[in-house]
Amino acid sequence: MTRKDHPLLEVSELVTAYGKIEALKGVNLSVEQGSITCLLGPNGAGKTTLMMTTAGILKPRGGSIRFAGTEIAGRAPHAIVAQGVALVPENRLVFPAMTVIDNLQAGAYQRRDRVETGADLERMFARFPRLKERSAQLAGTLSGGEQQMLAVARALMSRPKLLLMDEPSLGLAPLVVEEIFRIIADLHMDGATIFLVEQNAHMALKVAQHFYLMEQGKVTFSGTPGAMAEDEVIRRAYLGSAKA
Amino acid sequence: MFFDLIQNTLDGLAMGSSYALLAVGFTLIFGVLRRVNLSYGPAIMFGGYCATWVHLNFQAGLLALAIITIAGAVLAGAYVERLCFAPHRQGSAIAAMVASFALWMQFEEAVTLVMPSHVYDFPAMYDGPPFEFGSLTLRMEALVMLACAVAISYGLHRVLSGSRFGLAVRAVIDSPVAAQLAGIDVPRVLLQVFLLASSIGGLAGYLIVSTHTQITPMLGMWSTLKGLLAMMIGGLGSLPGAVAGGLVLGVLEAHSQWFLGPQSRDLLAFLLLFGLLAVRPYGLWRASSAEAEA
Ligand SMILES: Nc1ncnc2c1ncn2[C@@H]1O[C@H](COP(=O)(O)OP(=O)(O)OP(=O)(O)O)[C@@H](O)[C@H]1O
Ligand SMILES: [Mg+2]
Repeated sequence: MTRKDHPLLEVSELVTAYGKIEALKGVNLSVEQGSITCLLGPNGAGKTTLMMTTAGILKPRGGSIRFAGTEIAGRAPHAIVAQGVALVPENRLVFPAMTVIDNLQAGAYQRRDRVETGADLERMFARFPRLKERSAQLAGTLSGGEQQMLAVARALMSRPKLLLMDEPSLGLAPLVVEEIFRIIADLHMDGATIFLVEQNAHMALKVAQHFYLMEQGKVTFSGTPGAMAEDEVIRRAYLGSAKA
Repeated sequence: MFFDLIQNTLDGLAMGSSYALLAVGFTLIFGVLRRVNLSYGPAIMFGGYCATWVHLNFQAGLLALAIITIAGAVLAGAYVERLCFAPHRQGSAIAAMVASFALWMQFEEAVTLVMPSHVYDFPAMYDGPPFEFGSLTLRMEALVMLACAVAISYGLHRVLSGSRFGLAVRAVIDSPVAAQLAGIDVPRVLLQVFLLASSIGGLAGYLIVSTHTQITPMLGMWSTLKGLLAMMIGGLGSLPGAVAGGLVLGVLEAHSQWFLGPQSRDLLAFLLLFGLLAVRPYGLWRASSAEAEA
C-alpha cells in the first residue's frame, strides 16, 4: 500500500514528443488515493498524450511517473496494467469484432482467478444492465453510449487501483452523459481512484475533488472546485488562455 | 468424362488442402500484423531443405523428416519475425515487406550454398498403390493432406474461440492498441502467432514435397504465391475464407491441368492472382475493404 503522504500517482517533469513536436513540455501533477481528479484543457493541450504516456502506449522523452511509489514511465503497457492502472481511452476503442462478453474477458486477461473474474463479470452486468442484454452482440454494433459503458466495464475487469478516463462523455447525448457521470460518482463511492480528462468542465467539476488545467503541454492552473472563480477556469478550459 | 471430373475434383481438393494450410498460416500472420510476409514460403522451403539434408546424411524416418521440416520452418519464421517484423511494427509496411523480400533471398542463398544441386529427391510418404473406389483412385498422400487440413482448421478454430491465447490473438487482430490497454503483451502474442503460422506452413511444406517427391528452391516462391492467392480468394484475414480459398484454388488448378495440360497449372495461378487483384481485391466473397476490416 501507498504511504499516506504519497499520492497514488505522481507525474513530474514529464515530456512526450511526436517527432520533434513536444506535446508534453514538463508536466507536473498528482492524483490522491481515493479521489476523483480532473484534467481540463482545450483541444490539443496534450491531455490524451498524458493519458497514453501514463498507460505506456506512448514512451516519454523525459521525466517520471510514479504509481504507488513505483516508477512506471516508459514501461510496457501490459506491465502497467499489472501494476493496477487501467485506461478508458479516448473514442472508447472497444474490440468491435468481438462480443461484449469477450471484450470484458479481454479486460480480465491478466487475471488467473477464474471464479472471482466470473463474479466480477456478474457485477459488471448488474452495474450495466444494457451490457447484459447485449452480452452476445458484437461490440461494434453497440450504440456510442453502450460502447462507452463497455469500455469502462472492460477497464474495471482488471480491478485497477487507478482508473484513467479520457473524455468518457465525448459525442454522447446529454442523458447518456449524465448516466456516465452517475457511474463515475458510484465508482468513487465504492472507493475507486479516478483520473478523469474532460471537456465537459461543468459536469467534471461537480464530481471532482481536485482539478488541473492543462494548456499547450503544461499544467497552468490547479485547484479545488468551488474555491476558485469557476467561470474563469471553464472559459480557459474551453478556449485556452492564449486566445482570451 | 464424368468420372474424370470427379477424379479431378478429388485430386484438386487434396492439393487444395495443402494450399488451405499455407493460406491459414499466411492469414494468421496477416491478421495480427497487417503485413504481407513474403518470406513465408522461403521459410518453409528452408525447413524442407533441412529435412532433405538430414535425409541425405542420416537414416531418418518419415515422422522425423516431417518434424524437421516443421522445426526448420519455425526457426526460419522466428528469424523473419525478429528481423523484419518486430523492428517495423510501428513503422512502415513497405519497410517490413522489403525486409522480408531480402530474407527470402537470404534463404535461397543459404540453401543453395549448402546444397548446390538445387533439385533433390524427397522420400514419399507412402510407396504402396493408391486406394481404389470403383473407377476413382485416391492416393495415401491425398488422404493425409485432407485429414491434416480438417484437423488443423478445426483445432485452430477451437483454440481461437475457446482459449486464453485465442482471446489474445483475436484482440490483437481486432485492435492492437486496445489489446495493449487490456493488459495483453502484444509483441509476445505476435511472436507466438508467427511461430504457430510457421509450423502450420511447415506441415503444409512437408506434405507438398513428399507428394512431389522432390524439392527445389522454387518451393519458396511457390508457397508464398499459393498461400497469398488462396488468402486473397478467401478474403483477406478470414480463416474460414483461407480454407475455402485453398480448396477452390486446388480444384480450379486440377481442372485446368486436365483441360489445358500440365503447363497451365501455375500459369493459371498467376493469372488468377492478377485478375483477382484487378476485379475483387478483397476476395471473392467480400465486396469492400470496410467488410474486410470488420
Ligand atoms: N500522432 C500524433 N502525431 C503528431 N502529433 C500529434 C499526434 N497526436 C497528437 N499530436 C499533437 O499533440 C498535441 C496534443 O494532442 P492531444 O491529443 O494530447 O491533445 P488533447 O488535449 O487530448 O486534445 P483533445 O481535447 O482534442 O482530445 C496536439 O498539438 C496534437 O496535434
Ligand atoms: Mg484528447
